[in-house]
Amino acid sequence: MDTVFTPADFVAVLNQTLEFAYPSVIIEGELSNFKVSKNRWVYFDLKDDEASVRFFGTVYNLPGPLEDGLTVRVIGAPRLHERFGFSVNFRSIQPVGEGSIKKAADLLYKQLEKEGLFALERKRPLPSMPRSIGLISASGSAAAADFIKILGERWGGMDIYFSDVYVQGEQAPLQLTAAIEHFNQLSVMPEALVITRGGGSADDLAAFDDERVVRAVAASRIPTLVAIGHEIDVSLAELVADLRASTPSNAAQILVPDKKHELTTLARTKQSLSQFLDSIYESERKDLTTRQLFLSSHLKNLFSKELENLSSSRKLIEALSPNAALRRGYALVKKEGKHIASVQRLTASDSLNVALADGTIDVNVVEVKTHG
Amino acid sequence: MAKAAKNYKRMSEELAGIIAWFESGEIDLDAASAKYEEALKLLGQMETYLKTAENKIHKISIGSKD
Repeated sequence: MDTVFTPADFVAVLNQTLEFAYPSVIIEGELSNFKVSKNRWVYFDLKDDEASVRFFGTVYNLPGPLEDGLTVRVIGAPRLHERFGFSVNFRSIQPVGEGSIKKAADLLYKQLEKEGLFALERKRPLPSMPRSIGLISASGSAAAADFIKILGERWGGMDIYFSDVYVQGEQAPLQLTAAIEHFNQLSVMPEALVITRGGGSADDLAAFDDERVVRAVAASRIPTLVAIGHEIDVSLAELVADLRASTPSNAAQILVPDKKHELTTLARTKQSLSQFLDSIYESERKDLTTRQLFLSSHLKNLFSKELENLSSSRKLIEALSPNAALRRGYALVKKEGKHIASVQRLTASDSLNVALADGTIDVNVVEVKTHG
Repeated sequence: MAKAAKNYKRMSEELAGIIAWFESGEIDLDAASAKYEEALKLLGQMETYLKTAENKIHKISIGSKD
């Protein structure tokens, strides 16, 4: 006998069967009837030429603004709702194919541009010699290996905190976002944040145009450098980053100086300082020589002047000498060995000694006369 | 995460200070000799840093990749 269900029982049994048979489905199709209700609930259909499937979910699982006509790949769980019927509860939705990816990125670009997230004024300089770096990339990828290798060749002494994440696929946006937020929540944050991966197809790189990733990069308190190994289309994550690099290796080159160049600069500095010090010594030596010459000349002048003074004094002394007067014909009169300069104490018959230039004579006073 | 030890940037700034002192023009020979010795010491430390310092990779886990 056929089983008879109540509507509630049928919904429960069908959901149980769906959960068992299709816990997760991936459906790709054209987006239609896309709408967001109360800024939270998202409804849309995926259709092709023959069928259309309803989807339901929240804005938190959207990769950015979407519009009808885009080709998207949706991951979700099929479910029969008690009141609203069948739908797939989506947990991930990604535009697929170059055209749709580009169109979705354009939509997001316009929105973020209005918010000013690409403005040059927002760009911060990265530290010239970071001591710590937060690296977000896929472990084992050529991108991460290249970045670490070139970084090591150029500069040392850094702590690199490597967060291994998916950089493509369904989980990539959430993992990239979580890693960026993790570094930004640390009490001591790294000085620079590098997000890097190699090149790939538009589908491979879609996570870097995902609104959640792009906003996380824009909101990062740590200066960011995003390097995706492609040159043709720049991702939105690169556009909101403080700095972008063309490849992972280029990111390392931009981020740190080259130690070889630095060593050359140090050698030049050493040479310049040595030459500078030598020039100071030379200048001091010249200064000393000049001072010596000055002192020597000054002393010479001083001696010469003193000698002149001495000579003058000698001449003066000689001129004042009694002998000079005697030579001019004067006589020096002495009484009992004492010089007589007056007639006051002389009397007749005193014995006197008279000195002339060429000899002495002893005389007796005959008479004393005073002048006047 | 950042080390408290004297780092290259700080040494580089100290060296720049000494060079600026030399370029200031008011040079005393004794002070210049002392500053030169200081600069040589710094240059040596910086060279050693550049020749020997290596990067350390710390893998951190934020949820599971699988």
